[in-house]
Amino acid sequence: MSNHPSAREPIGIIISHGDLAGALLKTAKGIIGRVEGCFMLSGSELSSDVLVGRIREILDRHEGRNAVLFVDYFGGSMCINSVRAMEGRKGVKIVSGINLPVLLDFMTKREAMEFEEMVDHLIVRGRESIRVIDV
Amino acid sequence: MISLLRIDDRLIHAQVVVGWGRILCPDRIVVADNETAACELDRNLFTMAVPPEIKVSILTLKEAVGRIHGGVFDREKVILLVKDPRAVLKIMDLGLEVHEVNVGGLHYCQGRTKVIEGLYLDDEAREALRELVKRGVTLEARALPGLKPVILNSMVV
Repeated sequence: MSNHPSAREPIGIIISHGDLAGALLKTAKGIIGRVEGCFMLSGSELSSDVLVGRIREILDRHEGRNAVLFVDYFGGSMCINSVRAMEGRKGVKIVSGINLPVLLDFMTKREAMEFEEMVDHLIVRGRESIRVIDV
Repeated sequence: MISLLRIDDRLIHAQVVVGWGRILCPDRIVVADNETAACELDRNLFTMAVPPEIKVSILTLKEAVGRIHGGVFDREKVILLVKDPRAVLKIMDLGLEVHEVNVGGLHYCQGRTKVIEGLYLDDEAREALRELVKRGVTLEARALPGLKPVILNSMVV
């Protein structure tokens, strides 16, 4: 496994309120097919410590790989607990305000791009995808 | 003026800022929690979580009660947040008069059992809630203002 290039791709963890994370992951897979190294967590019913623990558990299982934590709402508890979970770890970034274009770009570009550049790209992609269409 | 006293183990989060915020339109959110007041990361996180039009104070229980008594928040609408039922007892012991508490969120962790959606209690929390009932406090459980409040008083005694 270790000499397989995709084993070094960053992992993605979608962390949301309610059913959003699961639905986003399922929807993204429905568009691009099988996806490795992407996970989801719903934090609605969990206390902060439990949620932080579950995020760290996934990060620990993939130690040595970069990770992006996708959270649904800037400043919400998923976001706050993601910051707690990433504290003291290198190669982990949080992207808040997850949407489908961002997730699809992550899944399809993460292998080809350098980590920091890819994360910057995701932010641009997310912003570009939010537009008013007025005919 | 305290518009809402809420027990929520997440303290500041989206339900408070957006859910309650849009109904109560608070000028300030006060977190009264000794641990949070002592943690720079948490202070920064919670301050970041609130839009700039709402002020944030992160205080120890003692500081919070002191400022409320000192009239510092008299001209503001304030949401006061504490982490657990025991903290409500402590602010009462420090002299704050409390008639009603919103039991907003005590989330799942090991040792807690489910009471209603979003409310999981361990023995310590139950004990503290029972004491609040004894002191005549109404325990109103609901995560958001649009939901039907569940009065916990008879459920915890």
